[in-house]
Amino acid sequence: MSATNLWETVIGLEIHVELNTKSKLFSSAPNRFGDEPNTNITAVCTGQPGALPVLNREAVRKAVQFGCAVNAHIAPFSKFDRKSYFYPDSPRNFQITQFEEPIVIGGQVIAEVDGKEHTFAINRVHLEDDSGMLKHFSTFAGVDYNRAGVPLIEIVSEPCIHSPKEAVAYCMAVKAILQYIDASDCNMEEGSLRVDANVSVRLKGEQGLRNKIEIKNMNSFSNMEMALLAEIKRQISEYTHKPHLAHHEVIQQATFRWDPEKKMTVLMRSKEDAEDYRYFPEPDLLPIVLAESYIEAIRNSLPELPLQRERRYVHELGLSQHASFVITSDKRLADYFEEVLKECPNARMVCNWIIIEFAGRLKEFGKNVAEYGISAKHLGQLVSMIDKGVITGRIAKDVADQMVLHPDKEPSKIVAENPDFNPLHDTAEIEILVDKVIAEHPQSISDFLQGKEKAFAFLVGQVMKLSRGAAAPAVVNELLRKKISNLQKDDS
Amino acid sequence: MHTLSAIEIRDRFLRGEVSAVAIVRHFLDRIEKYDEEVGAFLSVYADSSLQHAAQLDAKRKAGMPLGKLAGIPIALKDNIHLKGQISTCGSKFLTNYVAPFNSTVTDLILKEDGIIIGKTNMDEFAMGSSTENSALKKTCNPWNLKCSPGGSSGGSASAVAARMVPLALGSDTGGSIRQPASFCGITGFKPTYGRVSRYGLVAFGSSLDQIGPFAANVSDAALLMEVIGNHCDKDSTSLNMPAEDYLKGFDGSIKGMKIGVPWQFLEELEAEQRTLFETALGHFKELGAEIVSVDLSILKSSIAVYYILATAEASTNLARFDGVRYGVRSAKAQTLNEVYDMSREDGFGKEVKRRILLGTFVLSSGYQDAYYRKAQKVRSLIIQRYKEVFSQCDLIVMPVTPTAAFERGAIKDPVQMYFADIYTIGVNLAGLPAVSIPSGLTGDGKPFGLQIIGGQKSDVAVLHAANAFEKITQYHLAMPDLIQ
Repeated sequence: MSATNLWETVIGLEIHVELNTKSKLFSSAPNRFGDEPNTNITAVCTGQPGALPVLNREAVRKAVQFGCAVNAHIAPFSKFDRKSYFYPDSPRNFQITQFEEPIVIGGQVIAEVDGKEHTFAINRVHLEDDSGMLKHFSTFAGVDYNRAGVPLIEIVSEPCIHSPKEAVAYCMAVKAILQYIDASDCNMEEGSLRVDANVSVRLKGEQGLRNKIEIKNMNSFSNMEMALLAEIKRQISEYTHKPHLAHHEVIQQATFRWDPEKKMTVLMRSKEDAEDYRYFPEPDLLPIVLAESYIEAIRNSLPELPLQRERRYVHELGLSQHASFVITSDKRLADYFEEVLKECPNARMVCNWIIIEFAGRLKEFGKNVAEYGISAKHLGQLVSMIDKGVITGRIAKDVADQMVLHPDKEPSKIVAENPDFNPLHDTAEIEILVDKVIAEHPQSISDFLQGKEKAFAFLVGQVMKLSRGAAAPAVVNELLRKKISNLQKDDS
Repeated sequence: MHTLSAIEIRDRFLRGEVSAVAIVRHFLDRIEKYDEEVGAFLSVYADSSLQHAAQLDAKRKAGMPLGKLAGIPIALKDNIHLKGQISTCGSKFLTNYVAPFNSTVTDLILKEDGIIIGKTNMDEFAMGSSTENSALKKTCNPWNLKCSPGGSSGGSASAVAARMVPLALGSDTGGSIRQPASFCGITGFKPTYGRVSRYGLVAFGSSLDQIGPFAANVSDAALLMEVIGNHCDKDSTSLNMPAEDYLKGFDGSIKGMKIGVPWQFLEELEAEQRTLFETALGHFKELGAEIVSVDLSILKSSIAVYYILATAEASTNLARFDGVRYGVRSAKAQTLNEVYDMSREDGFGKEVKRRILLGTFVLSSGYQDAYYRKAQKVRSLIIQRYKEVFSQCDLIVMPVTPTAAFERGAIKDPVQMYFADIYTIGVNLAGLPAVSIPSGLTGDGKPFGLQIIGGQKSDVAVLHAANAFEKITQYHLAMPDLIQ
């Protein structure tokens, strides 16, 4: 693998996002996923002759919102172009997109990669309409135009991404922003967020970019990571095995798709087959002209964004930066977190239970605790019981297991119903253990008496150990303090 | 009745002197009598128009309010949608295409109680200047059946010229209303771009297309403009201004008006046509207008610019005709690419294919700068030049065409045919309003038209001047022998 370290990866991403507007980009047809085929259509969606596009203002507003959220320049003047290609899912055989003058220019996205903040640059964001969907049957194919005309923004990054991990972090940060401003559902399975990647490699320190490969059909972040890893490996291997050929002969510009079964990228079309899209200004639409006041009003009414929330959690709640990034990268999860805090204000402990304990338990379901359906109230109750010393951390883990099995069940009930989960509250029994620990650790006691709080925690730990985790921490605490202060009195 | 104006027909109906059913019957009879020879109509809605007329009669009898077009039969060019009826656009490809919605102009006409009596022949997808490019029918000029009625709205023009219908709509992308109006000796008006909604008009060159009226006199054309010239939310390029009154101000006075003539641009006009044109200028002087010379020699580039921009837009507008969703799919096609190739091969005529190829070429990478972009720049210069000229004069006049109607089949070279539009195309490139009105007959008895052009949004002024000219000349009263 040492040869790999000589190489540098360059990735640029194109993220296509379906905006969650009520109607489509150029028609009044509903923008809704999952309905019967060809029910959400008007004459515009099927490209009827004589039908004309009329721009949806809500889509423009959402595109501008995103632009403001990533600190981009919002173009006061932008326009649409026709992009020509023949395919049955394209009802007019041209797509209406923004080629020359996009609505959003530049911008940055900050994401966390390996515990460090990383700033990614956006090149442009443009509005365009989605295509329909081809459905293949045994002897024929059909087209569903429900998706045709759904508003998309295409977010084009600079080629500033240098690893698959960075690519995932960038995508997640973009997705979080879109969710926070309520611009999209960002559901990759339903196709409301789709990513194409442009990948090339070069030797470290090399100037200029080598030919890039475009990868399509990566319908999850984990697929994307695998596809990028596979493609990078393939390119490095090609260059390594053909050292005498010119770079542009080794890798020729082409489009590949990710095959999740074979776990490899597969050639779709080479550059020679690339289409000439013959872009030119769309004569049926006027340019989008935005007043400065309109842009400012949107900028000023942006909701709290993921990064702002991340900063707030670090500063106000004392979360670590990493934990804060993880929990704020999903708006629903962060909202859930705040719900739990109403029940149990110990933010660090609550955060820990959400992003570590339950995340681990629910990994196999592919869901986080909010999505899984454990209520914020129940999670709050669980953490509260630990916080107040009603149950031990060890017992809490077992209770959590039960909560995964019975997501509707109150944790206090789970504890009440299972004698094993009932911590030892019998003072007499615990007292014996406390006495034993005090007798065995005179040094710790004198440390504690000299003001070392850590020594006290050690003593508590020793008692818990003797009780095999069953002693109620609150009782142990109380008894220990009482006994030690008695010792002091005895001394004096 | 057919010698009456549309306005008179309506007024007689409103006064109860004639029923709407009788009006429609009369014109259906005329279609029956003359259209076999003229070939103006692709479809005639005898039953539905009589039904509609009967409803209007009932409405009148019940004393209910009636609209501006009450009882007037109107024909639509076959690229304008009437819901539930076939819109062929003169193409084999769309012979099975039933319009799924009304065009805005159709809705506006129906709202004002006009009666849609049928749809008229045209050059395929409005591409042509003689209606010879129709894949479906041969249309003749009522003045001389050997001659072309002009095009592309030749069906609508010949229908009105033969008084088979008092009013008709056409569309004008490079002269397709004005040139056939000139050839057929009637009034044809191309409004300011955006004045009339294009919603429901099958697009040819979207930035140039405009629907407009044909009539036997200027007032009738103005009446129809009062109805169709309105803002429409479904067309993003529709002007955001309310409908205007045209007829109220028609007092025949254009005294003191400055009328520009681009003499340099008209150098090649032949003697007979020049004489007719100069006679027309004399009438304007009689009316007290001042004739000034203006420079529009830049329009010599207009044909080249137009055939780049219009075909570029058309190549994409016509891409939707692929046999996948509607239209005639080739029965031989087995694969997707065959559906595309064979349906378009079979469905489109030669001129349409020529223009799609041309439009595709001028947009291709490597050629776009030399053709499409350069043409856009020249278009901007033409717009600029017109603006300057309109600071020197109120209106521009020039002939509509270099010649009167030519014989069908006489022009074989497509580029020569393109030059039939040399005087009309500039108006479309600049989005201006312009009218074609009769200005006398040539020696061999063919109508020759005069074009009056105004600045943007001066539609009312253009028709006002045309009305004044018509009042003192009465050229519009001449009718073809065929129907006398």
